[in-house]
Amino acid sequence: MDFEALGLTLRLALSTTAILLLVALPLAWWIASGRGWARALVQAAVAMPLVLPPTVIGFYLLVAMGPLTGPGRFLIRVLGHPLAFSFTGLLVGSVIYSLPFAVQPLVAGFSGVEREYVEAAAGLGAKPGRVFWSVVLPMTRASLLTSAVLAFTHTVGEFGVVLMLGGNIPGATRTLSISLYDLVQDGNYAAANRTALVLVGFAMVALMVIYLVPGSRVQDGGQADVVR
Amino acid sequence: MSSDSLLALRMRHRVGALLVDVDLRLTAPWTVLFGPSGSGKTTLLRAIAGFVRPEVGRIAYRETVLVDAAAGIFVPAHARPVRSAAQSARLFPHMTVQANVLYGGGWGLQREQEREVAEQVMAVFRVQGLAKRMPRDLSGGERQRVAAARAVLAASTAGPLGSTLLLLDEPFAGLDTGLRDTILPELWSWVTERGIQVVSVTHDVAEAFQLLPDVVKIADGRVVAQGPVEVVLAEERERLLGRLGR
Repeated sequence: MDFEALGLTLRLALSTTAILLLVALPLAWWIASGRGWARALVQAAVAMPLVLPPTVIGFYLLVAMGPLTGPGRFLIRVLGHPLAFSFTGLLVGSVIYSLPFAVQPLVAGFSGVEREYVEAAAGLGAKPGRVFWSVVLPMTRASLLTSAVLAFTHTVGEFGVVLMLGGNIPGATRTLSISLYDLVQDGNYAAANRTALVLVGFAMVALMVIYLVPGSRVQDGGQADVVR
Repeated sequence: MSSDSLLALRMRHRVGALLVDVDLRLTAPWTVLFGPSGSGKTTLLRAIAGFVRPEVGRIAYRETVLVDAAAGIFVPAHARPVRSAAQSARLFPHMTVQANVLYGGGWGLQREQEREVAEQVMAVFRVQGLAKRMPRDLSGGERQRVAAARAVLAASTAGPLGSTLLLLDEPFAGLDTGLRDTILPELWSWVTERGIQVVSVTHDVAEAFQLLPDVVKIADGRVVAQGPVEVVLAEERERLLGRLGR
């Protein structure tokens, strides 16, 4: 069992989740609060990691962060080293890779809040920001939890992007899923099994959390909604 | 009442098959929009509140222009000197009744003052005993009254005396008439004392007559008549009395 990899995986997943919630909340609110091709385009872009092989994302990020592109050269000049093959680079990749898992539950949740509640609050003089924090968000707590848990577990289970972008540097970019791959390559099946069990445990606990916490979106009439 | 309480409303707006086309000036402290369902009353109220953006038109309250379609002016709902309650209660499900009623409280009132005002408003609507309850534990009628109390509190604390317009969309629909008849006079003195101008929607003749307001009669998106209730709804009153077998 590679405890360094475990620690790194947790650090990566927690940081990714924190960043994703900051990004996903306003993004999902914007997507949910209207229609049009601009929203469709953004939604499609957000959903891309769901259908693309992770290696494709990893490849493009690797190129973008490297000396072959303008932004990459700029980053190298600012940071003094390429973003790829570093924890920060991995973090950027994880945020993009797990973005749909954070955004989509929130979009579903926000879309489920009837327009009339927002209007009721605005009709009482509440500014849009206050409406969001005091009415919309508390009514979509279950979606927020789902979003955070999925972003976290999905990052823990990330493999292709990490492999392309991070290589295999202990303490910097070697996560549990990479460690597992290495152990299997070395024929160390006992250790591989322990690592795999840890990953299974993560997934199981996270999913239990989602299904155990009752849909806290209680409607006017009193019926609770299911987690989506 | 001061005659300068003035809402000027001119708009053309299509909602589905209905073309709402009106030109109105409301000067009375309380105006009732009267008409059958689907006649455009709610659309008018929603346009004043800021939830409907008229294709053509101009809405002004006192000196403030709220909407001027030609000039591209559209003040968002929350920034208008207007407080409103929709037809459905829409109490915030995660807040107690008291928190709901206090939600629209403003104008720098102290927390304690606000609570006091909230208690008074809740008493007017006969919901004072429900303060700690959650919306899901209320009956439909109770929810409706809490929603009206919430809008009245918001209008009462929104700005200096006599600066706020209160919109109530069928606040007493489905309520038993005995309760309505006790609440209405108290609500009337509450809003007139505070100089809150009210526009409410109803299709209940008895409710309109109890208030003695100005009435705007609407049918198919147009204003059919406007004036004192005794004049505008005389025909409806006769019909109602006739049905009662006078």
